[in-house]
Amino acid sequence: MLPVDWLGGFREMELDVLKLHLKKIALLSAVLGASLAWAELVRAQSASPAPDNEAFDVEQVFAGTCGFCHSDGGRAAGKGPQLMNSPRDDDFLRNRIKHGKQGAMPAFDGAFTDAQIDQMIKFIRALKPREG
Amino acid sequence: MKKRSSYPVVFVALSISATLAASSTFAQTVDTARIEAAGQNDWLTYHGSYKSHHYSPLAQVNTTNVGNLGVAWMHIPGKSTRGVQSMPLVADGVLYYTGSYSRTFALNGATGEVLWSYFPELDEVLVARQTHSPYNRGVALGEGKVYVGTVDGRLIALDAKTGKVAWDTKLIDSQKLTVGFTGAPLYAKGMVIIGSQGGEWPGRGPIFAVDAATGKKKWEFLTVAGTEEAMKTWGGDSWRTGGGGGWMPGTYDSETNTILWGTANPAPLYDWSGPDFKTQGARPGDNLYTTSVIGLDIDTGKLKFYHQELPHDAWDFDSSVGEFVMLERDGQKLVVHPNKGGFVFVYDRNLGVKNVWRLVQNINFVKDIDPKTGALIGRRDFPAGKVTEPPLCPFIGGGISWNAGSYSPKTGLYYKIGQEWCMTLDIQKTTPVTTPQAQLNIGADFKMAPPPGGEIYGHLDARDPVTGAKKWEIRYPEPPLGSVLSTAGNLVFVPDSRGTIHAYDAETGTELWNHNNGTGHQGGIVSYSVGGKQYIAVVAGFGGMLADEYAPNFGGVYKSMPRDDGALVVFSLK
Repeated sequence: MLPVDWLGGFREMELDVLKLHLKKIALLSAVLGASLAWAELVRAQSASPAPDNEAFDVEQVFAGTCGFCHSDGGRAAGKGPQLMNSPRDDDFLRNRIKHGKQGAMPAFDGAFTDAQIDQMIKFIRALKPREG
Repeated sequence: MKKRSSYPVVFVALSISATLAASSTFAQTVDTARIEAAGQNDWLTYHGSYKSHHYSPLAQVNTTNVGNLGVAWMHIPGKSTRGVQSMPLVADGVLYYTGSYSRTFALNGATGEVLWSYFPELDEVLVARQTHSPYNRGVALGEGKVYVGTVDGRLIALDAKTGKVAWDTKLIDSQKLTVGFTGAPLYAKGMVIIGSQGGEWPGRGPIFAVDAATGKKKWEFLTVAGTEEAMKTWGGDSWRTGGGGGWMPGTYDSETNTILWGTANPAPLYDWSGPDFKTQGARPGDNLYTTSVIGLDIDTGKLKFYHQELPHDAWDFDSSVGEFVMLERDGQKLVVHPNKGGFVFVYDRNLGVKNVWRLVQNINFVKDIDPKTGALIGRRDFPAGKVTEPPLCPFIGGGISWNAGSYSPKTGLYYKIGQEWCMTLDIQKTTPVTTPQAQLNIGADFKMAPPPGGEIYGHLDARDPVTGAKKWEIRYPEPPLGSVLSTAGNLVFVPDSRGTIHAYDAETGTELWNHNNGTGHQGGIVSYSVGGKQYIAVVAGFGGMLADEYAPNFGGVYKSMPRDDGALVVFSLK
């Protein structure tokens, strides 16, 4: 319990110094907090998929996973069919990504949300031949 | 009276013991000593024997009569998703092999009659989420049991006589790591050794030893950062998602009590570090013990020695693909081991480098490998971005794949398939995904490309295994993906990708016989004898990970070839 006259005993100059110290502490805490949050985010980025509200980088998903079978980033047939200019409709693509095809393509319903799959379909529809 | 009645009793007793003798022939135990002795009539382990020669000492079928080879019998395993990839084993006239989903069969080796079958129940939801699945490459035999791995991370032991489950041990949390076992296990010294898939998957690639009698795990070796020394070769947290694994069986060196095993590549497969891979990029450092050959003490699983064939492998050129061919030259005991990049390494029995020779022509991921030290010279490390001129050679399928070569002690030649193809890439920074379940981490878009100024093709070489000197070569329009067999009948058998199995003169390479099995080959081939008759057994059935590149890139017969069918075809002299 603080002695009653501890606060009452401060003169104005000492109060300014106290305020300055408190500001420094606040700033330091903010910086420290931000660093910890950043480290946590970096670690999180290295071990979990992007949450819904963050930018979902479909191109990176291709380079990591889809491109293993969908050659040249989906522009050519490889282990999997060419996705660029696909004649399949959106429902087909959505269903295929979610449920896969036995012995040919894995099911990604556990890996991506519906919103993310919609973005992947947009990406596929926008695929163009490589420049140059 | 009593004296007379004792005669039929004795007769009956003799009949009973004769019957028991016949059934105990069926049940003769396969043990370490028997595998080591590599009996004439049997094929007791994946690589033929611990010497890994993929060679049969039988000579009934030979260069003078191979033209008379015909189909003796066939077996269709069914549900052959991604074809049939296994190496049959034979002990005392019984053939054991697997199909997809680890469907395991014991067949009468002379007639093909099914003695028993076992189909494990697999986690189908998990299988639906896997890529390198649901094929199986074969079993191990030992102590009256048949051992088989599953893609959902289990090792199962079946009674060799009845097919009943003796034990079923879960080794990998496949539901989280997405990988399991596709390779055949190895039985040695009372233990069953098996290595996990890994490589492109962000895990740590364990190799396990399990007690053959009880199924209890005895030890586990992590190929990614499995020791303190190794941990220092992974920058930051990259060891957590390092890949690795050992998805093909190695061998056992009884003289040194060592398990020799090849390890898989690190993840992501393609790094964006540029030349400074020691401090930059996805996984700074040499990334031990990926893309290495390792020697483990069989009793403890502790690392005894190793050689990292490709430090900081930036090209997916595993060491796990290669057989460990044990041979002697000028009184020196050597181990010959092919690496996926297309080089063949020659080691002493402690994995000290003795020579390195090039099987494949189109290689530019390095300029060369120093034959005295194994050091990489002029390595191509890429930053993020496109790789097109020149393309990267060889292709992700490798200059050498996991189909085994064969060494004939009779000719002194090593018969091995080389692959000539390249790739263009677009390397990108990726983030490993491990929740809710591990996802592939490749690190680049890519596409198959022909070699600069050349054509894609495959070739069977007859080489001196130690010096690499080439005696002859046979070319194929597309690389054969089946294993090779050589025999004391001076024959070399090559099952090709279009569906034809060829027999060549082992000395000259002259083709002496061929037969169309109806679909492409991507599995094993063995020879054995029952009742004085020699058989050659080969599996046919296409559709694996590398085979799937054939239809879109080569067209032709591959366009109509099934990806979900296959058979075991067994030949003998008519």
